[in-house]
Amino acid sequence: MLKIVGLADEKVESNLRSNDIGMTVQEARSIASILGRDPTLTELFCYDAMWSEHCSYKSSRSTLREFLPTEGPNVVMGPVEDSGIVAIDDKWCVAISHESHNHPSQVLPNEGAATGIGGIVRDVNCMGAIVVATADPLRFGDPFGPKANKVRWVTEGVVDGIWQYGNALGVPNIGGDIVFNSSFDDNCLVNVVSIGVVRKNEIIHSKAPQAAGENCYDVILIGKPTDSSGVGGVTFASEALREEDEITNRGAVQIPDPFLKNVLFKANADLFELVRNLGIEIGFKDLGGGGFTCATSEMGAAGGYGMELDLDLMHKAADFSPEILAIAETQERFLLISPKSLCAKIMRIYNEDWDLPNVYEGARASVVGQVNTTDRFVVKHKGKIVCDVPIKHLTGGIKYQRDEKPRFKNFVEPDIEMLEDMNQVLLKILRSPNIASREHVYRYYDTEVMGNAVIRPGEADAGLIAPIREEKFGIALSVDSNPFYGRISPYWGGATAVAEAMRNVAAIGATPWTLTDCLNFGNPEKPESFWEFRESVKGLAESCKKIWLKGYKNQPVPIVSGNVSFYNESPEGTVDPSPIIACVGIIHDISKAITMDLKEPGDKLFLIGPRFDELGGSEYYRTIFDVSGANVPIVRFDLERNMIHAVIDAIDQKLVKACHDISNGGLACTAAEMAMVRPAKFGFELNLDKAGESIMRTDKLLFSESSGFVLEASKGVEAQLFNLLNDYGLEPMEIGVVTEVQRILIKRKGITVIDLHLDDAKEAWDKGLGEALK
Amino acid sequence: MKIAVVQFPGSNCEYETLVAAKNVGMEGEIFRWNKPPEELSYFDGFFLPGGFSYQDRVRAGAIAAKEPVIKTLIEEAENGKPIIGICNGFQILIESGLLPGTGRVDMALAQNVMVSRGKIVRRGYYCDWINLRHDSSSKRCSGSFIIDRGIQLQMPIAHGEGNLVTSTPGLLERLNEENQIVFRYCDAQGKDFNEFPVNVNGSTESIAGICNPEGNILGMMPHPERAFFSWQLPPGDTSKYIGESGPGRLIFESMKRYIEVRA
Repeated sequence: MLKIVGLADEKVESNLRSNDIGMTVQEARSIASILGRDPTLTELFCYDAMWSEHCSYKSSRSTLREFLPTEGPNVVMGPVEDSGIVAIDDKWCVAISHESHNHPSQVLPNEGAATGIGGIVRDVNCMGAIVVATADPLRFGDPFGPKANKVRWVTEGVVDGIWQYGNALGVPNIGGDIVFNSSFDDNCLVNVVSIGVVRKNEIIHSKAPQAAGENCYDVILIGKPTDSSGVGGVTFASEALREEDEITNRGAVQIPDPFLKNVLFKANADLFELVRNLGIEIGFKDLGGGGFTCATSEMGAAGGYGMELDLDLMHKAADFSPEILAIAETQERFLLISPKSLCAKIMRIYNEDWDLPNVYEGARASVVGQVNTTDRFVVKHKGKIVCDVPIKHLTGGIKYQRDEKPRFKNFVEPDIEMLEDMNQVLLKILRSPNIASREHVYRYYDTEVMGNAVIRPGEADAGLIAPIREEKFGIALSVDSNPFYGRISPYWGGATAVAEAMRNVAAIGATPWTLTDCLNFGNPEKPESFWEFRESVKGLAESCKKIWLKGYKNQPVPIVSGNVSFYNESPEGTVDPSPIIACVGIIHDISKAITMDLKEPGDKLFLIGPRFDELGGSEYYRTIFDVSGANVPIVRFDLERNMIHAVIDAIDQKLVKACHDISNGGLACTAAEMAMVRPAKFGFELNLDKAGESIMRTDKLLFSESSGFVLEASKGVEAQLFNLLNDYGLEPMEIGVVTEVQRILIKRKGITVIDLHLDDAKEAWDKGLGEALK
Repeated sequence: MKIAVVQFPGSNCEYETLVAAKNVGMEGEIFRWNKPPEELSYFDGFFLPGGFSYQDRVRAGAIAAKEPVIKTLIEEAENGKPIIGICNGFQILIESGLLPGTGRVDMALAQNVMVSRGKIVRRGYYCDWINLRHDSSSKRCSGSFIIDRGIQLQMPIAHGEGNLVTSTPGLLERLNEENQIVFRYCDAQGKDFNEFPVNVNGSTESIAGICNPEGNILGMMPHPERAFFSWQLPPGDTSKYIGESGPGRLIFESMKRYIEVRA
């Protein structure tokens, strides 16, 4: 027992801290009062994990409920279990999950990033799904700033962790992005997204099934033997990072094992087949944040049952204390709730057929307890009860209404002159680490494993896979969030992240079908950070609602999964608001999908989306003038929706051969990328006279990041394309032509503004990222 | 006709390899490493798929090469049954001495070393589409039985150790003379260029695949099962949108034809 009742606050505080418990005195007192006694150490550890920000969403829950659209005609399951699920057609569904692994990746980049992948693929697999892809949105510090060495070390370690885990596991990495920005110098962001496919009638839920309590279903722990790794992982994720804690924090990082996971997934597939054939409902969940306690109590509580567990039955790496066993975040584990009649068959699958004990020392499946009809969560260790608490109190968590206050801002638009040599300006931007080709990184990722890749990283704005051989549909995936916009306006940062993620999938011809949000912010107890969080959520929700689901007027594109990551700050400051969005798109026939590379000389190039003087946070302002500006790109919701829906139709009708959305670097970079990307055979000539109002300055016309698309029209159907775009109320601008000559040529009023040989542009763009990381 | 795709803990290409084999009309199944090895004799041919068998402990392929199923496979191969090892499967064939077929471990697949203009520009894992040239004659080996000499094929590679090296004197000359060098990396025009990115991993003489003297065993680093359907091709290749077959299909068709001819 840990003494709380009757003690003064300071004494309780010191009792908690000396036992490495992070909860507040008030929280500890509320637990003691519910229990009617002093809690045990194990109980406090369990509550500390379950009531952490990471597990309980105690600061964010009310805001998410207030704004986020989570329902829609295609939603099979919103954000209640480990993954969200949407229907692709009558038969197939896509499951998606999105999380952060920021703090672990900052202190131990390789392991932190690898366990991020490891955790997210379990979230998808445990729904009964085949995991078919991952994507990684990454945010690192300034590679040329004062912390350059650390930033490069973190970047390299994270990329290594991602490929070493994902490639060995055998799940392709088909998307992701990387942004460098000094606000991430001491706190990188490593988000992970995973998608899977599952038949609608074969979804497995992460809760105790009906009648599990009445029939005393087995609770079975599967996988790696529990050790002390990752103790306090969730509380570590729920505090700001301090350098002096680095050694302690390293202990909170879990240890990855893709090899064991690879075998576990195959064994799980046999389990799923077994229960499908028998028509038996089971509960299945991965062990992630909060470890054994979180998985068991959440499964029991979700089914409306209690549970009695015996830590002596658990397979473990050594004789650890009960509080460690209860909350350690040992990787590569699953929890299963199933009828006793299945027990022998299940043990056979894991312990004999797939031979876990010989694949990894100490790994296996073990029955560790039973579900019951009480409302208690009871854990025994060496014959003694070490935890006996009301299960719903443990999982129900607590809720805080945090204060919000706008962050003081002093952003102004700069007074700058256009530079003489625009060739050098474009080259400098193409070489900058935020614009340069990502090839240096994605060649580490196995994008081909499983043989499903249709469109790979670098080939278009989104990746595309065809995961089911006998079906024609494809699943597209893209991610986005621009921290430079978020810094100036968290609201527009949120709104543009959703809009761009949707544009990305539309650019290959897929329809934005669902979204996930991983909300990375600072300490919510600080009103300015909480304000940023709320503003971003409002902005992103607005985009979901107003750029509605194509074919369902006024029905938002639903957000079915996500994660909130607060405390992304160090004593040096907080990260720029980063509501990172992933968008899943569906295309009904993969043969219609298109890539961004220019296809044929003579083809006409069209621009949709007028340019506006809104270069706040733009690559041009930052890279050329080292200023941030004030006017961030906003989302003109009706225009945005019309553009996205029109592009999808135009691609479906084969009117467009190549398409690239306009984002970072504006029109100039977008067009240049279409020429520079493989096979890089052709150049182009653009005439800016047709790109909008004549009053707008040429540099702003070139580099404004207002949303839009550049389209390469198929020959002979330009008029049809024009009409289609007109029907959506758009005004397409015919801005140029694809040329046999390998030059990037841009003119205005008869004067050449930019004239670069494709090879020179490519050299800058190809090498920029490698140089930044050297 | 029935083939087995032999699975080890850590294999990760067995399912798509089986899909490809079945698609050309072979029957088959995945054969788990802990099944009784003698059951392998029911099959007419074998695939060793890609992946990270035994976590690449010691060296890629080294542990799997010592497994009982490989001992049995050696006996099956002596009877002339074909084996195709892809990526990690190739590494296992090298580590077990089945390739180049001298009865000893005479070669190694070392870490990729990307050399450009005489300088090392990168090392280790790399995933990309590459061009291959068939440098042996048709009918010389199981996995390229129906492929004419000089034919170019596009396929993806995805490995960290595909740099084929040997220190055995005269071995390369012999492999060349005996037509055992089956595939080489080449440029888009089919020409040799012994530097990155054409020779993508620094392999000796740009070698991407070899066979044993008898020709029934082929090992290759590129993944034909990932270039089996035309839609899998990269966008620069216009045949992505034409027909249904990708170049990798020829490897599986070859295996089938080899088994038919042998029967």
